Amino acid sequence: MAGNKGRGRAAYTFNIEAVGFSRGEKLPDVVLKPPPLFPDTDYKPVPLRTGEGEDYMLALKQELRETMKRMPYFMETPEEKQDIERYSKRYMKVYKEEWVPDWRRLPREMMPTKKCKKGHKSKKAKVTGQGTSLTNPADVLKKIEELEKRGDGEKSDEENEEKEGSKEKSKEGDDDEEDDAAEQEEYDEEEQEEENDYINSYFEDGDDFGADSDDNMDEATY
Amino acid sequence: MEQPRAKTGWTEVTEPGPGRPGFGASDRRPRAAALRLLSTMTQAEIKLCSLLLQEHFGEIVEKIGVHLIRTGSQPLRVIAHDTGTSLDQVKKALCVLIQHNLVIYQVHKRGVVEYEAQCSRVLRMLRYPRYIYTAKTLYSDTGELIVEELLLNGKMTMSAVVKKVADRLTETMEDGKTMDYAEVSNTFVRLADTHFVQRCPFVPATENSDPGPPPPAPTLVINEKDMYLVPKLSLIGKGKRRRSSDEDATGEPKAKRPKHTADNKEPIPDDGIYWQANLDRFHQHFRDQGIVSAVANRMDQTSSEIVRTMLRMSEITTPSNAPFTQPLSSNEIFRSLPVGYNISKQVLDQYLTLLADDPLEFVGKSGDSGGGMYVINLHKALGSLATATLESVVQERFGSRCARIFRLVLQKKHLEQKQVEDFAMIPAKEAKDMLYKMLSENFISLQEIPKTPDHAPSRTFYLYTVNILSAARMLLHRCYKSIANLIERRQFETKENKRLLEKSQRVEAIIASMQATGAEEAQLQEIEEMITAPERQQLETLKRNVNKLDASEIQVDETIFLLESYIESTMKRQ
Repeated sequence: MAGNKGRGRAAYTFNIEAVGFSRGEKLPDVVLKPPPLFPDTDYKPVPLRTGEGEDYMLALKQELRETMKRMPYFMETPEEKQDIERYSKRYMKVYKEEWVPDWRRLPREMMPTKKCKKGHKSKKAKVTGQGTSLTNPADVLKKIEELEKRGDGEKSDEENEEKEGSKEKSKEGDDDEEDDAAEQEEYDEEEQEEENDYINSYFEDGDDFGADSDDNMDEATY
Repeated sequence: MEQPRAKTGWTEVTEPGPGRPGFGASDRRPRAAALRLLSTMTQAEIKLCSLLLQEHFGEIVEKIGVHLIRTGSQPLRVIAHDTGTSLDQVKKALCVLIQHNLVIYQVHKRGVVEYEAQCSRVLRMLRYPRYIYTAKTLYSDTGELIVEELLLNGKMTMSAVVKKVADRLTETMEDGKTMDYAEVSNTFVRLADTHFVQRCPFVPATENSDPGPPPPAPTLVINEKDMYLVPKLSLIGKGKRRRSSDEDATGEPKAKRPKHTADNKEPIPDDGIYWQANLDRFHQHFRDQGIVSAVANRMDQTSSEIVRTMLRMSEITTPSNAPFTQPLSSNEIFRSLPVGYNISKQVLDQYLTLLADDPLEFVGKSGDSGGGMYVINLHKALGSLATATLESVVQERFGSRCARIFRLVLQKKHLEQKQVEDFAMIPAKEAKDMLYKMLSENFISLQEIPKTPDHAPSRTFYLYTVNILSAARMLLHRCYKSIANLIERRQFETKENKRLLEKSQRVEAIIASMQATGAEEAQLQEIEEMITAPERQQLETLKRNVNKLDASEIQVDETIFLLESYIESTMKRQ
């Protein structure tokens, strides 16, 4: 049906007056580009509602935003290494409670496998290892004292501060001992953790070798 | 143009591919292009979900969540492979998302567990302040904190909620006073009775003699009557302040909190019984609020009170998505009016007749027994509210003459060009201009009625009409885009001034610690001057802008609620 266009002359198939242009009038320009990103508005928007309820909800919203960032559900991305280790960063780290889901409600594949946790632990250990190597010269004596006191495979408390939650560490510590096949991996871990000069299980003569590591958990950390 | 909302369906497109034998889970991955057609989510919604997840849970959870929203239901390993994230992190992210009811899992054949994201539930995160504030107005601070804890943690046991809320309330009380667990429990029970909190589906207790390996994932069940059943707990205790805790070492910095607290050793009495906030009930409340305030605006206070009473009586008897409430007799309504209201029966009858005769049809008369049976037309009310929203938007964007044309077309349903000019009493040229403007933005649509079978344009009627459902959808889509823009702008503003914000926080911390150790006024003054006057100005401007953007988000969300309710109600009737 397209067919003839009136032998070269433009002829509309509909009544042009219906659209609002009289015959022969100049038609508006064809738009050749997308509309502007911030078009001018003829009418300004109505001001926002104000009131007690609105103010309260606003404060709530901002508070919730801050709170969510501190909850254990907020998964931090591991930050890129900064060129200089800032002293103040250690003391500005927010303490986060560790959250353990109810495994009974979740598919079994959700549980972190022992191997993965090992990887996690060694990764964390690496990070903290690098962190402490710079402060070692400053706190050598203090560290010796504390490791003496602990007398087990635990790291010093300064390193505990840097970890996300010491609870998870203790949990992993439990799993370490229970896992039969972990000996080899434990050895790997030890190797990887040798970034600093200190062997993890520093002990004097007469101390038990890591036997009651778990029993010492209730001691207050300093 | 808005993308089509196709019905959801994740079809398996098996793609053997070159050299890929076997029946691994990865083979069942459909082509990405096919999925984009099947997805119900528009790009605007996905963008908004991404921003919300990132703000609340961080980038890793955002990546996993958005991937699931885009691609539908997928098993664990495929997610890890497609997003390039380690399995460990994917597991953790999924745990967080499942905990917050944003992702559900299902066991498919051959024991494969697949995870599916609930996009609409993610968008609810915008509404958290409104839920919490509503709980505050209904059940005061205790209710407010209970709902807040449930929303922040996804699901919790009752004992955990009570303890946490008691502790928080005790913090705010005067020295020496504590909050009793019993009081918090009472409020919790009231919230459960009015259905604002509900029990989560739970793992059914299986007998020990169940043979065979355990299933890959538990099947969670809940039945209607158990949903609001509060377990019999005797929670005795009082809230504790953080400062005056019983542990040995007091005054420790937060980071060195001891690993175990005494409570860990006690058995939890309601172990496994989790509660969550019942968002549908809150939505019902918001809807009722909207209707009542609409009646108050249109008529007067007394009418709105009558409507409020009728809605309150129907709360439990009418399901939330019914088109109208159960019929209520005038006598019943009279008896249930709030105590302070002294209107006589006749006056009540007059009001009811007025309401029923109103063209908006919020209230309808369904019979004459019992002094007259009246219902509230919920669906019609939502429709009126949605329409009012559309009218308001047209008025504010295009002016009041455009709004006049819009209302005209709404009222007359279908109008020709000429008729519009005549009825609206607006000159032809301007009327055309306005109609085309509204047409280009999809508030108005064109209906063709051919006179002849060849659909020749010169012999076809073109009628302007307003399709409320599609206009509402278009507006909803714009709202999602608006909020995404607002959030992005807010993040941009905050990032621009990050250095200044950090500086001001440090200064505040210094001042606070100095005040605690009793510093002189002069010293405090000196520290305060570390922030120069122009910097202070900048901070003021930043705060004002962020507040405005936040407040806008909250108010756009109210429009979203209205439109979504209307669309949902309409879809259910079809």
